[in-house]
Amino acid sequence: MSGLIGQINPGLLLILVGFAGCLTPVQRVRQALMVATPVVAILLLATAERGTDLATASVIGLDLVLYKVDSLSFIFGLAFLIAALLNAIYALHTDDRLQDGMALAYAGAAVAATFAGDLMTLFIFWEITAVSSVFLILRAGTKAAYQAAMRYLGVQILSGVLLLDGLAYVYKSTGSLSMEAFTSFDQPGVKFIFAAFAIKAAFPFLHNWLQDAYPKSTVVGAVVLSAFTTKLAVYAFARMFPGFEILIWIGAIMTVFPVFFAVIENDLRKVLSYSLNNQLGFMICAIGIGTPLAINGAAAHAFAHIIYKGLLFMSMGAVLYRVGTAKASELGGLYKSMPWTTIFCIIGAVSISAFPLFSGFVAKAMTMSAVAHEGYVIVWMMLLFASAGVLEHSGIKIPYFTFFGHDSGIRVKEAPFNMLLAMGMAAFICIAIGLPTIGGFGYGWLYNMLPCTVTAPADVCLISGEEIKPYKPYTLDHVLTQLQLLMFAVLAFMLLKRFGLYPPEKPGTILDTDWVFRKPGYGMVKWAGTVWGKVGPAMTAFFGRIGSQTFEKIETTFSPRGALARGPLTVSMAMWSAVLLGIVMLVVLLA
Amino acid sequence: MNLPPERDSSGRFVKPEQEPPKPSDHEMHPMSRILFGWVGSPRTPLVLLILTVVIAIGLVLFDFAVDRDEYVDMANANGFYAVWGFAAFALAVLSGWPLGKLLRRDEDYYGEADTTPHDVEQDS
Repeated sequence: MSGLIGQINPGLLLILVGFAGCLTPVQRVRQALMVATPVVAILLLATAERGTDLATASVIGLDLVLYKVDSLSFIFGLAFLIAALLNAIYALHTDDRLQDGMALAYAGAAVAATFAGDLMTLFIFWEITAVSSVFLILRAGTKAAYQAAMRYLGVQILSGVLLLDGLAYVYKSTGSLSMEAFTSFDQPGVKFIFAAFAIKAAFPFLHNWLQDAYPKSTVVGAVVLSAFTTKLAVYAFARMFPGFEILIWIGAIMTVFPVFFAVIENDLRKVLSYSLNNQLGFMICAIGIGTPLAINGAAAHAFAHIIYKGLLFMSMGAVLYRVGTAKASELGGLYKSMPWTTIFCIIGAVSISAFPLFSGFVAKAMTMSAVAHEGYVIVWMMLLFASAGVLEHSGIKIPYFTFFGHDSGIRVKEAPFNMLLAMGMAAFICIAIGLPTIGGFGYGWLYNMLPCTVTAPADVCLISGEEIKPYKPYTLDHVLTQLQLLMFAVLAFMLLKRFGLYPPEKPGTILDTDWVFRKPGYGMVKWAGTVWGKVGPAMTAFFGRIGSQTFEKIETTFSPRGALARGPLTVSMAMWSAVLLGIVMLVVLLA
Repeated sequence: MNLPPERDSSGRFVKPEQEPPKPSDHEMHPMSRILFGWVGSPRTPLVLLILTVVIAIGLVLFDFAVDRDEYVDMANANGFYAVWGFAAFALAVLSGWPLGKLLRRDEDYYGEADTTPHDVEQDS
């Protein structure tokens, strides 16, 4: 019996219940389902056997592995399921069937994609994440949200199409769709799959869909969106592209460039979206390094990040819900009205900033050590710069301008209880996995789940036989240097504020690289459309006239009534043809 | 012509602008008084600054007492992380001045100024 239960794909369960939730009109029944299902799914995952194909199917001659758990997919899947539970609790104050159902289906699709044992199964759930998540933006109900949702959907579907192209090439060349790590870009289809993952992971110049859509989604939607899509892409990279050097540099750039946008951005949910990019950079960089320590770093960072980033989005969502805005220029002094939200936001902020005793510290440490150990000094310096940048935009800017700073005079009620409960649970996890290990409690719980332990299978960790030493984040060196970095950054903030050198928060739209296609690109398409509208009919008439004239000339020359059909030339031609045919026949007869 | 602040451009006396009233702490959450009662004190920013300076200097001094062994050579220098943290943060923040001027446009630049979702509290 337990064997059968262990074969039920928790992701598929979430998808089915999510779709059923869309059809359940009674709010309390639906929400009970939304909360209970992730709990059941976590229990299912706990009973699943590792390393075997737990559910398979054969469709149009393709052997699909629908459910397979190993040490890499387990930690991502568990993080997704915990996030799904927290999100369901966070959404309890709303009565929105579509949002509730689609949020769970979206989480389920991400979980199912994580446990996919072949590329086709990955593609199917990859697409379900795209289609289900768009409702979380659409439900915001504004024109801006609608337009952002359409752009988001277009980009996500493009990612799916590229993945499908890539897997078709892979299948054609190898006859297999198994999810084995690629070793080179020269393999057929690899570039397509890389591009598909790159879009979903919001690589530089492909990142705009994230900052465009997340801040325009619903209060709950932004929290849900922050957990799944990009981390699914991180998982996919860790699975298929570990050790690809280009990822090191792409990741490093990803950590640095959002810092500059986040500094000047006024919409705090957009600041968090840039911050998300920055955090993804650390994970991508670690995957590029590809050593067991680095892969562990990427997995640990993804787990911790899903929780603390969700917590930060939850706190900004609570503020948006009560105040009606999340713009830094309009906020301030909210600690007087929302003390619990303030505390939880601060816990999320210090976690993402990697202060000792919090989750970011034990997670980020592995990536930084792996990068330094492999001798990438410039990359290491970029990551160190980005660490100070994280403190600026997520560690200080978010809590300071929302809850402290200039008192906006806004007095509201504290966030609804369900929001506080979800934030409290997330904050608890941030602390629980960040503390030193004492009696089974602390970071040891997270580290024991990491993919590359001594007993981990080699295909996940690219282990070449050497022993993996357990990583210890709480060394005197590490705590001291990290505190130095952070405390001097805090000191810089205080001095810059004191001397009026900190740029004021101003309302406005900050241009990003999407300006290229949203302004000149769109303008050119519009211009081309207008030009075609005028030139098109004239060109059609011109070519039509040329065509009819040409046809007329051909007809008057070659048709049975044409010039060539009349007169002596045609008669002699017919005679000579008959003579030639006769000679040929004679030769054939005599030969 | 420079006019005193209590006269308008035509030289007539005008009522001086009143300072906006200070937001009341009357409706402060009881838990806020317990957790953050100290934040509102005028001395708090200075006390925090002094505390931060003391901790920061203490960390650098402690660095001299610890023999660190880093993978990156320059990181072995005492106070390296302190300098890097301060400089990186200052660079990120100060870059906001020119970048803001360069990249900030009107809120309705893309015709999408209204981004407040419909699921916020109705009386907010």
